[in-house]
Amino acid sequence: MTAAPPPSTGRELLSPPTDGISNLRFSNHSDHLLVSSWDKSVRLYDASANALRGEFMHGGAVLDCCFHDDTSGFSASADHTVRRLVFNHNREDVLGRHDGPVRCVEYSYATGQVITGSWDKTLKCWDPRSSSGQDRSLVGTYTQPERVYSMSVVGNRLVVATAGRNVNVYDLRNMSQPEQRRESSLKYQTRCVRSYPNGTGYALSSVEGRVAMEFFDLSEAGQSKKYAFKCHRKSEAGRDIVYPVNAIAFHPIYGTFATGGCDGYVNMWDGNNKKRLYQYTKYPTSIAALSFSRDGRLLAVASSYTYEEGDKPHEPDAIYVRSVNEVEVKPKPKMLPNPAS
Amino acid sequence: MSAGEHKMLTLTETTCGTLLNELQIIWDEVGESDAEKDIMLLELERECLEVYRRKVDQANKCRAQLRQAIADAEAELAAICSSIGEPPVHIRQSDQSTGSLKAELRAILPQIEEMRKRKSDRKKQFIEVNGEIQSIKNEIYGGGYASKDASVNETDLSLRKLEELHIELQALQNEKCERLKHVHEYLNYLYLGCSVLGLDFKQTVSEIHPRLGEPEGKDISNGTIEQLRTAIQRMQEVKTQRMQQLQDLASSLLELWNLMDTPIEEQQNFQKVTCNIAASEDEITEPGILSAEFINHVKAEVSRLEELKVSKMKELVFKKKGELEDICRKTHLIPESNSSVDLAIEAVESGAVDASCVLEQIEIQISKVREEALNRKDMLEKVEKWMAACDEESWLEEYNRDDNRYSAVRGAHLVLKRAEKARVLVNKLPAMVETLASKTTAWEKENGVYFTYDGVRLLSMLEDYMTLRQEKELERKRQRDQKKLQGQLLTEQEALYGSKPSPMKNQSAKKGARLSCGGAATGRRLSLGGNMIQTPRHDMPPPAKATPVTRNAKKSQRITHDSLKDDGFQTLSSGRRGLDLAGLPVNQHSREVEPPSPMMRKPFSPISSTDSSRSNATNILGDMNQKHNEMLQKMLTSNNTTTPFTPPKTIPTAEVENIMPQAASTPSTTLPIPMHLAMTPMQKPVPSATLQMAAITPAKAVEEEIEYSFEEKRAGFVLPRSHLVNLMMQV
Repeated sequence: MTAAPPPSTGRELLSPPTDGISNLRFSNHSDHLLVSSWDKSVRLYDASANALRGEFMHGGAVLDCCFHDDTSGFSASADHTVRRLVFNHNREDVLGRHDGPVRCVEYSYATGQVITGSWDKTLKCWDPRSSSGQDRSLVGTYTQPERVYSMSVVGNRLVVATAGRNVNVYDLRNMSQPEQRRESSLKYQTRCVRSYPNGTGYALSSVEGRVAMEFFDLSEAGQSKKYAFKCHRKSEAGRDIVYPVNAIAFHPIYGTFATGGCDGYVNMWDGNNKKRLYQYTKYPTSIAALSFSRDGRLLAVASSYTYEEGDKPHEPDAIYVRSVNEVEVKPKPKMLPNPAS
Repeated sequence: MSAGEHKMLTLTETTCGTLLNELQIIWDEVGESDAEKDIMLLELERECLEVYRRKVDQANKCRAQLRQAIADAEAELAAICSSIGEPPVHIRQSDQSTGSLKAELRAILPQIEEMRKRKSDRKKQFIEVNGEIQSIKNEIYGGGYASKDASVNETDLSLRKLEELHIELQALQNEKCERLKHVHEYLNYLYLGCSVLGLDFKQTVSEIHPRLGEPEGKDISNGTIEQLRTAIQRMQEVKTQRMQQLQDLASSLLELWNLMDTPIEEQQNFQKVTCNIAASEDEITEPGILSAEFINHVKAEVSRLEELKVSKMKELVFKKKGELEDICRKTHLIPESNSSVDLAIEAVESGAVDASCVLEQIEIQISKVREEALNRKDMLEKVEKWMAACDEESWLEEYNRDDNRYSAVRGAHLVLKRAEKARVLVNKLPAMVETLASKTTAWEKENGVYFTYDGVRLLSMLEDYMTLRQEKELERKRQRDQKKLQGQLLTEQEALYGSKPSPMKNQSAKKGARLSCGGAATGRRLSLGGNMIQTPRHDMPPPAKATPVTRNAKKSQRITHDSLKDDGFQTLSSGRRGLDLAGLPVNQHSREVEPPSPMMRKPFSPISSTDSSRSNATNILGDMNQKHNEMLQKMLTSNNTTTPFTPPKTIPTAEVENIMPQAASTPSTTLPIPMHLAMTPMQKPVPSATLQMAAITPAKAVEEEIEYSFEEKRAGFVLPRSHLVNLMMQV
């Protein structure tokens, strides 16, 4: 624990977005943090310096954003557009359009493509290197069974979670049809899906305080490893209050992961040993998004009301960057016999 | 003739001559006559002759005697020789050489002596052998064997005979050995058997023969051996029998263990029983394992387990019965022939019937009910939905009657939201009932039986519901007219006195409006509903809290009697229905984790304890009027003119009370809602149903039941019509 003024929650970034935070991501090359918000903006922060480095305004709420490299990124907006943002020149251009609000955007380092998922029930792949203009940059459109709610890319695998609890797993090298079509093993609406850093499976969270750990391996042995657990619940007066799990973020080094729920808590989990490693002190409001920095030393936490109860007065939206103690994220090996005792 | 004899003769001759001379002299002197002398001399001569003759006779006799003696001796010798089987000694030949008879006799006598000695020796041997034979025979054949052969046959004492006897003796000795061995074997066997069977060996043996138990001097007679043999046979029989018994017990033990998962520690005690389950007779050697005591011990264990099993079976039967009832309850079936099961259970308890038999019976029933439940599942889901809708309807009615509903208490926005949803739902109710009814008829046609819900035919329930609704609609219309009148009256009053009566006074009167809650307090689950009613509600002001069920029941009973034409049966059924609705939230409470209702999906919302005893139908009527402006509904403007329905009896108070609510509710734009509208103009009120539910709802309903994420709701994103159709196709 640091001795800094808000020691429990981490350092709060100055000049946060003025409305709900839809997502935030650390760069893969630096401690820069890209934040998309319902206030129609995408902001770039230098997390270590606690400084706002850039701001891009969009025509509608921005539902997702991601880095391309350290100098550019992409955003998905509710105004149906996919945009490319160039930070150095504070320049932005439209990469393409969907027929509905664009919910997710991912950049695949393996294929060099941008993948976007939209509520128009399609997935689109874009080539960002081509000059702007939808006709040239669009690589392909892939129909989804339902509106896309969450997406995750690791290596060549893309996991798409949609409404109706569908989960499609794609191989980015052959997008013609999903490699696997699945149904979420959770009974309720999917909130977030994130692939394991080792590429063997994905974690999927639902609105009903539950996270499922799934594996790509379809063999019986592979599938026997899958499980789901309850989290972000509060027991009060003999009944459980169940909160949606909005965010999952895997630690890039240890493979452990953090979940954030509408209860304002961030929990660290060890998926292999099925243990909760740590629970950070409560944040003012729902956890909207989580991201680990490239080395896993920093964790960005978006504490921002996610409208789970409709419009209501709520705590101001805030971004906290906390330094992560190794103890909090390192998997605890299962009980080993201690030779000393 | 020896010289001495000769001398004596000569001497005698001389003496005779001298004597004659002397006589001559005497005679001369005496002067005898010659005649005399001659007679005397003749006498002398005759007397002498006589003496000679006598002596010769004597000698002759002596010689004959001697000869006789020799012959006798020879005969005896021969007899002895023949009896002891030796060649006769020929004495006669040696006769010539020895000469005199006396010598001969002398020679023969020691031979005889010798032979006699030999004979007696031999005889002694015979007696000895015979005695031994006798004793062995006695041992073998028992005391009954007479010693008829005890005396030795004197005539045959030959070595051969002796040899024979020896052989016989040998044979007898062998036999004795053999028998001894046998007896030992038998005794050994008996000993082992006795130890296995847990009998007293000594006693068993001494019963056969008193001396058998002793270490020495075993009896080996035929009788004993026979007895031993029979004893062994008997023992074996006992052993086989007991073994059979034990193995039977063991198998039942194993069975029971298996059945009841008896812990190993408990089994350990009887491991030696069960390990012998397949052993053949002679493999069972452990002492005491077949003892009556041990068998009784095992028997006791078996009977203990048996009892345990029976009690467990009973438990199982009860459990199964519970399961059956549970399934029936869940599927709202009336368990058929429940009484027969009860009877059977009683029979089991009294021990008249095997529990497993009953168990089987119950299993069959369960499977039957399951099948039926599967058949009813689709229908039931629809019924549940309808019930839920009715529930919401009654809640909404209650809510509409709450004058403080717009006060800004905590969680009020949630309640408002619920109300919005409920209104939409209530609008759909008639269509729902209609489809349900048609589905039910189809189902009944298909299955050939009535579709019953808790024993009541669903169609009649639906009919009841619809008539109730219509009646209430009429009632409402009448009231509206009345209210209008009242309003006029009041404005006049206001003009006179300057104030309106507060609606707060009449809280309790409104409670009477619980129509569809049947007054039948007889239902099993009424208590459940009662509990629900008594649970305090978070969103209601204190006066609405904790209304005892009896009061409601009484009131509604009165109402049903007064204002409705319900007969007893209908009352009961509607009471049940109401209670079911009340029961539902309770289940959810207890389950607590998987919130299936739309309300539960909203994380922060308190789980409302829906007071289902309120009228299901009351405020549908108003909504029905607005079926045409569905669009407006969707926009949640909801110009819902729902006026709380009050029974005719309480009209006087209701007249006063209804003024405020009406005034407040006619515009129906409740306070928090505009904010909702402002922010989310296109918002769908119901994110309620999961996809599965959407799958079974008719096309019209789907539009309302599409799930939206928080972001979609916030962005006001609505699926366009075409998408809906697509969705329908996919579903």
